[in-house]
Amino acid sequence: MRDARPWTHAALFGALWGAAELTLGTALNLSRLPFAGVVMGLIGLACLVTLRRLQPRPGVCLLAGAVAVFLKVFLVGGLYPGPLIGIAGEALLVELGFTLAGGRRTGAVLAGGLALAAPPAQLLVVLWALAGTDALGAYGRVARAALTPFGLGELAGPPLIGLVLGAFAAAGAAAGWWAWRLAGRVERRLGGGW
Amino acid sequence: MVGVAARRPGRTATGGWLVKRAGLALLAASWVAVFLPGPTSAALAFALAVTAALLVEPRVLVATLRFGLLLAVLFAAAVTTAVVAWAVGPSRGLTVGGQMLLRLLVLSISATLLGRTTDAEALLALARRLRLERLGLVLGLALNVLPHVAVTLREVWTALCVRHRRWDLVRALPRLAEVVLAHTARLAENATAAASLRGHTALVEIQTTLPAPLRVVVVTGARGSGKTTAVIEAGKALEGRGRCLAGFAQPGIWENGERAGFELVDLATGERADLARRSDPDRGDHGTGYRFERAGFALGETALGRAREGAILMVDELGPVELRGRGHMAAVRRALSTPGLDVAVVVVRRSLVPTLLAALTLPDVTVVDVEEVDDPARAIVAAVLRNP
Repeated sequence: MRDARPWTHAALFGALWGAAELTLGTALNLSRLPFAGVVMGLIGLACLVTLRRLQPRPGVCLLAGAVAVFLKVFLVGGLYPGPLIGIAGEALLVELGFTLAGGRRTGAVLAGGLALAAPPAQLLVVLWALAGTDALGAYGRVARAALTPFGLGELAGPPLIGLVLGAFAAAGAAAGWWAWRLAGRVERRLGGGW
Repeated sequence: MVGVAARRPGRTATGGWLVKRAGLALLAASWVAVFLPGPTSAALAFALAVTAALLVEPRVLVATLRFGLLLAVLFAAAVTTAVVAWAVGPSRGLTVGGQMLLRLLVLSISATLLGRTTDAEALLALARRLRLERLGLVLGLALNVLPHVAVTLREVWTALCVRHRRWDLVRALPRLAEVVLAHTARLAENATAAASLRGHTALVEIQTTLPAPLRVVVVTGARGSGKTTAVIEAGKALEGRGRCLAGFAQPGIWENGERAGFELVDLATGERADLARRSDPDRGDHGTGYRFERAGFALGETALGRAREGAILMVDELGPVELRGRGHMAAVRRALSTPGLDVAVVVVRRSLVPTLLAALTLPDVTVVDVEEVDDPARAIVAAVLRNP
């Protein structure tokens, strides 16, 4: 028989992620605190990496993401595109990371890097989709004007975007490594030493 | 959850359904238009979205114009207008800002409208229509366990608050995450076991079936309670009665009064091989604190390969590694599939009994708890031979 465990684990870990999104995620969103997306991204990453380590089957992260999106839609009572795209995107990127680098620590590091670089990239894409390339260029000029007095005007534009995305990706990679260690501790806790 | 389209007096159910369908089609068209370049397409998208809302549920427009949401939309559009006006020119700023305002309003109307017409039932029905029954079951399971998960989160948090001072709480967060994640995994195992015990196979793809009637004696007990000793003694007693044995036991290796690892003993031949040695917890194999030896697994496979018709298969023990499908599990599954196998004796610690039952659909199971019988070896022999 093929095991039902990946399905039940995806349901449970998706429910855990969904519960965190419904409680802490909603509170952070309403309070407009900075880095709310990063905090929720870390929680999602811990859930997905642990799930993938316990059930190393392709697609489990996507399934858990679908569960979390479903719970957010069902219990918050509305399709709020931002968080939903964030959750679905994170699940997709973590799955992609593990697919590209294998279900090992490297996969977790890549998945973390991709997942945490996504929120700032998402902001840029949304700005481009809503306001067009003119607005992106205008924000670039504002950034250049703000950085020029500090002698960093040359950084504005693609180098600055690359720097910010790189910083988030590096933090995400570290978070992925931490999540893999956490998942290992969970695995040992479940195994009781063996 | 909120239902479907508002039905006006005198309108038939079919008419209401058609109006709702037409409204949703217009909404889809607005989504296409909203991402086309130019202010005309943004205006068209806005007009389509408003018409869709009027057709499906006019109250959506009022809900969209909530003060907070409207303020946020206006603020974002105003900032963009100012930035583009400063960088490119006032007229371009007004065009881009207006375009952004209309697009944000289209998204807000769509989100509110879809939120009011979509509920769990609708999504589950969609999953069924798309022949994704398993996805529907998984979503249903998630909905059922959600209250339990929420209670767990609250209880673990309360326990941490009681045990730690405010600033220590931050340092205790990884610990909280570990406890919650492990608890979630246990819930998943229990859900699998419960589904298996109730005969639910909707989440399971049947690839091979175990030969029936296969009897299984599950030997259980806490760690260090004497399961392995009991199985080895029972094996000797059964051999003494002329029964054919296949399988292995895994007694501990003790050094300086501490368990340093495990070896594997072929119960039919008495041959031994090292199976695992204790290591740094972060460097162990399969997420354990042990390094495994290939020789041990090879001997285990050979021992399990002796299973044949009429034999008694003894497996000591199946741990979490096996129940996650690794370690000896592949060889155990092959051995259990041996045609005509009389009975299998499987050792598993108490907390893993439900998981074992979930992993193998077992038709006939007797459980022997070594801590609840006076003579465990004798109890195992009695269960195998079906002597009361």
